[in-house]
Amino acid sequence: MPTFKLNGQEIPFEPGDTIIRAAWRQGIEIPHYCWHPGLSIAANCRMCLVHVTSGRQMAMPVLRWDEKKKEYVPDTKPKLVPACQTGAQADMEVDSVGPEVQQAQAHVQEFLLLNHPVDCPICDQAGECKLQDYYEEHQHTLKRKRTEPVHKPKGVRFGPTIVYDAERCIMCTRCIRVCDELVGDHVLDMRERGNRNEIVLAPGRELDHRYTLMTEHVCPVGALTSRDFRFKARVWFLKTVDGICTGCATGCNSHVDFDPRYGKVYRLRPRDNEQVNGFWMCDDGMMTYQEAHEHRVVTAVDGRGEDAEKLLQEEATEELAARLKGLDAGSLAVVLSAHHASEDNFVLAEVAKALGVKHVYLAAREAEDIGWEGDDILRHADPNPNRAGATAVAEALLGEAPGDLEDLVGDVLAGQVKSVLALGAIGGEKEGSLDALKNLADVIVLTANEGPLPSVASLTVPVASWAEMFGTFRNAKGLDQHFVRAIPSPEGIEPAWKTLVAAAQELGLEGIAYARTGEVRTAMNDAAAPAAGDEAQASAPA
Amino acid sequence: MAAGVKVLERKKRTLAEASYVPEIAKGLGKTMGRFFKNTFGPEEKKEIATVCYPEEKREYPPRFRGIHRLTQRADGSPRCVACLCCSTACPAQCIHIEPAEYEPDDPRYGYERYPAKFIIDELRCIFCGYCVEACPCDAIRMDTGMHMPPSTERGHFLYGKEVLLNLPGRDGTYLSGNPRHEPGDPTHPGVTREQGH
Repeated sequence: MPTFKLNGQEIPFEPGDTIIRAAWRQGIEIPHYCWHPGLSIAANCRMCLVHVTSGRQMAMPVLRWDEKKKEYVPDTKPKLVPACQTGAQADMEVDSVGPEVQQAQAHVQEFLLLNHPVDCPICDQAGECKLQDYYEEHQHTLKRKRTEPVHKPKGVRFGPTIVYDAERCIMCTRCIRVCDELVGDHVLDMRERGNRNEIVLAPGRELDHRYTLMTEHVCPVGALTSRDFRFKARVWFLKTVDGICTGCATGCNSHVDFDPRYGKVYRLRPRDNEQVNGFWMCDDGMMTYQEAHEHRVVTAVDGRGEDAEKLLQEEATEELAARLKGLDAGSLAVVLSAHHASEDNFVLAEVAKALGVKHVYLAAREAEDIGWEGDDILRHADPNPNRAGATAVAEALLGEAPGDLEDLVGDVLAGQVKSVLALGAIGGEKEGSLDALKNLADVIVLTANEGPLPSVASLTVPVASWAEMFGTFRNAKGLDQHFVRAIPSPEGIEPAWKTLVAAAQELGLEGIAYARTGEVRTAMNDAAAPAAGDEAQASAPA
Repeated sequence: MAAGVKVLERKKRTLAEASYVPEIAKGLGKTMGRFFKNTFGPEEKKEIATVCYPEEKREYPPRFRGIHRLTQRADGSPRCVACLCCSTACPAQCIHIEPAEYEPDDPRYGYERYPAKFIIDELRCIFCGYCVEACPCDAIRMDTGMHMPPSTERGHFLYGKEVLLNLPGRDGTYLSGNPRHEPGDPTHPGVTREQGH
């Protein structure tokens, strides 16, 4: 691979790379606003100016203020080039920290802040704002302009998700390019020039495609803010862990931002992964963080309707084991969940195997029931994060692909299934589609959220949601992706696999004794190993 | 013997010292002298360090940090923009703020936000004054010169927005020393794009 020198350091690059991209691959940041690795090159912010010190030098004549003579004197300065637009060449020497470059960066910063309202106290971007970061790193001088800054529209509602503030905007055009290049919908554009520049909507349109939050995500300043996250939290209070989006089978990688003081998840942000989602996530995926708190089940309930009785968490595990003990394995149905981690599904499948269960099903959301539509960008047609993982677990342990919920209802009506042990909340969202289960005495549901399955349950046991546990989702491409616990569960609530392990030990089932996620994963890999060939085939992209 | 150690002779007590009587008489003499001077003596000669609090109060230094207050704008709304700088700076984590947005038809929409809830746990507060220092718009002050009124109820020490807004400073004022000239205010110097430059 050819290399060039950046500040004396050898940087390898692929033919066609620009200086900034080659440096970015090596983890070296050249300050920039308008450049984004996933977007085309605009080269309009001029923050990434660097000095190419090899080759023929071009000197620009300038007038420099001479403090002694008290007048401008002719001088020269080297011609700087934007690193985002200049192709890397072998044996090139680039300087991005020299005095000329530093001066250029400071001047660009001062220029961008010339009409900036500096309303950081009311700006949601404060704390993750490039203007703030680069002011500290590259400017550190006061503004010399003394007149009132130009005022522009503030708080413009661009659509159901985004609010625009023209005063804070630095016109990097990233949002325009996201709409054009990621979504292919030219809904944003720029109007006027100079300090009257502003981003506007296409006439008669709203910013309402499925990737609107990506415009906010790429905005380097506080010009675009998300209406959902607006004023909810200060980013410096938030901690971040790696998550996997639960919106669909693509399994986009995310950052889960949560406040450790309140144990509350506030938002998701896309995490770069070129194999899966590039740099992006869709709006519905970004909103899946709400599952961690909305419609959450936190109390175990024994019985249905008026006879329902709340149980303590310890009692719930005992009741779970006691109920399982009395059930006939031949007519017991086990329902895996395409919405729960592979670990949960694996332990449930192990329990099913140890009990000798014959009927295995998979609860999954159906796209048409929840109004989900896939597309060619990121959204997969299947709105379940772990259908492949749950299916693979069932096939590896029980040797057969699980049926769907319609099969379950059919078998219940046919009298083959007389009791149910189910994981997860989500089944068909159709009203009353699971009514047949209401007549069964024992419908045990382990769930984190309310939904169709818990609504027909005779025993509901709350378990940890994805934000409260370590786990694995297998996406539609067959890629196993781990996610990390963000917040603690409400008092006493454990992940489903732990609850099942506790119940299995009460029942005296052998071989199901795990204490850590790592042990479950090892066992899961061992179980999957002999059937690895089939599994790869089964989990090929749909 | 190690160098640098000085050996002193133990002094013998005299008979007067050993009996303690003259020393006790001397001490009591001082006490009784002060007692009569401060009780029956002329006012200007009294030497009393204590005051009869709460009937009498000492004057506090000008920078005494009393309980907090929130300053107001001219129209009585809180000057606070709910930026959370004070709760960030607070080492005792006693400030809880929930920001909210003005409605779109409000002239302040987009320029300001306001605290929907602003609660200070005065029991948890350590009165360090960092919140006052952190505030970018002179919205929180500790210049009331007041102590917390005592109570046996913990909840009484959670001071909400209304209480904090209605506490005056020591000079009796409620207004912020830093009025920002927002659009909508007659003093606002800027112009919007619609009005031309």
